Amino acid sequence: MSTPILSAHNLVKHFNAGGFGAARKVVRAVDDVSFELARGETLGVVGESGCGKSTTARLLVQLLTPDSGGVRYDGKVVGPEMPLKAFRSKVQMVFQDSFASLNPRMTMIDAVAFGPAVHGVAKPEARRKAQDLLERVGLDPARFGGRYAHELSGGQRQRVNIARALAFDPQVIVLDEAVSALDKSVEAQVLNLLMDLRRERGLTYVFISHDLNVVRHISDRVMVMYLGEVAEIGPAERLYNAPRHPYTEALLAAMPSLDPDRRTLEAPLAGDPPNPIDPPPGCRFHTRCARAFEPCASRVPVSYALGGGHVAACHLNTPKEDVA
Amino acid sequence: MAVTADSIAQLATVEKSRGYWRSVGARFLRDKVAVCAGLVAAGLILMAIFAPWIAPADPLDGSMIKRLSPIGTEGYPLGADELGRDMLSRLIYGARLSLFMGVVPVLIAFAIGGAIGVAAGYLGGWVNTITMRVLDVLYAFPSVLLAIAISGALGAGILNGLLSLTVVFIPPIARVAESVTTSVRKLEYIEAAQASGASSLRIVRDHVLGNVLGPIFVYATSLISVSMILAAGLSFLGLGVSPPNAEWGLMLNTLRNAIYVQPWLAALPGVMIFLTSISFNMLSDGLRSAMDVKQ
Repeated sequence: MSTPILSAHNLVKHFNAGGFGAARKVVRAVDDVSFELARGETLGVVGESGCGKSTTARLLVQLLTPDSGGVRYDGKVVGPEMPLKAFRSKVQMVFQDSFASLNPRMTMIDAVAFGPAVHGVAKPEARRKAQDLLERVGLDPARFGGRYAHELSGGQRQRVNIARALAFDPQVIVLDEAVSALDKSVEAQVLNLLMDLRRERGLTYVFISHDLNVVRHISDRVMVMYLGEVAEIGPAERLYNAPRHPYTEALLAAMPSLDPDRRTLEAPLAGDPPNPIDPPPGCRFHTRCARAFEPCASRVPVSYALGGGHVAACHLNTPKEDVA
Repeated sequence: MAVTADSIAQLATVEKSRGYWRSVGARFLRDKVAVCAGLVAAGLILMAIFAPWIAPADPLDGSMIKRLSPIGTEGYPLGADELGRDMLSRLIYGARLSLFMGVVPVLIAFAIGGAIGVAAGYLGGWVNTITMRVLDVLYAFPSVLLAIAISGALGAGILNGLLSLTVVFIPPIARVAESVTTSVRKLEYIEAAQASGASSLRIVRDHVLGNVLGPIFVYATSLISVSMILAAGLSFLGLGVSPPNAEWGLMLNTLRNAIYVQPWLAALPGVMIFLTSISFNMLSDGLRSAMDVKQ
């Protein structure tokens, strides 16, 4: 396999939740997360609220510094081997809140031109590039270039945010719930735009969402996160058709179906996820798992490679002879 | 003719986007109270600037026979003070020092306190904690007490009064600047700017300042009246402006003995202080609501 364009190595991020010394509490937002992105692929990331998706995204684009672990771009460790500023122009991010991601005092053209200007492009040229990009994302620069964020609709704003990310000519774009706040028809338009751009520019996406249908639609591979850990990762179709982690099964069962014969009769998952300040011992999912058995409460499951790039961290995947 | 998508697009081109400050101006003009307050404040400032041309008499030239003449005396439309000086002229000239003592300390404190607060808010972490705790120590003193203490230690005089008032206003302005900056810093456009690889200075200049200066400035304008009243208080105690200069606080002080003889006359400097502070307060209230984008 060729060198992955972006890879996360044992990322750990704990946030302080108050207390000092022995009473100090930490939220284990991301705990030992590793994955690789092949050039041109789209990795979907799914999981409940608070499972560490957004923290992982911010670690990946270096908006947060990991407590341990690191990110490699094209095989080079970001920081020691690759300067951060060079990395910034290669890996960009689009946020969920399209309004909060735009400076309310900046015109759209200035917002898009800001990135190239930071990277040393002369101002007139940066503005010309911004115009071209606004045009590309479907906004007439003559009409929208001079407007402010509050004068645009949610879908238009998110197009501007995509144009802003594109202004760096990045290789990878991390989309953190980028279409989640849009209504369905606009969401579909923006998704189509994202897929067109991916084809045109050979982009690699990390697509974070809680909408499993959308993730399946756009992703080549899918990563399922639970309480700051990777529960399962694998090719999208395989993972959707034959999940190998009970949490993935539960998530998929919770997907609304259009088929009346496949109604969701009972909630596949009861209760809220446990507190990430004090995650359960053993497998973090065992407290809510319908198929938990004796080793789950005590032993942390290792990630079992199931072939074809499909990996699941669940004791159910232990080869039979290993269960003593 | 049928309305085609093209003609709608044409219409939209014509309707050009209004800049932020233009829409603030339009909202401000709709607020009658704020516009009136603004006119009064502008009038007071003009009065201070053009005092020598407007004032009918020399504010320092007294006539012992005319001491404490009531309002409406021939040649003394607002009466004469305890040394027989024309009250109207002294009130007009008084605007100079009073407004100066009201505006200048606030402007200096706006620059210094704003810079401290924005830096602390943007950098966050322990820099923020240490800076803000140090300012809290200063903030814990009642402002009058702090102003009197500093002025008292430095001695009477306009410059010392100015200095003490500036020190008094730095902590509250810095606190407001810090809290506004902290809330802006958490927004995603700042994260996006950080992800662009821009330096902190550039992010503060291009993305933070434009969004925090407005609220800080509005807060600062509300302090102008406080500063005037404090300055008047310092003068009243003999710490700020010294006689025979005309300053409203000082005039209030020297006329207090006459309060049983000519109560209306003695109240005039107070009326001016009240008028100035209320107009500046309402002006800043109007600015605050005009700058609220959510309206």
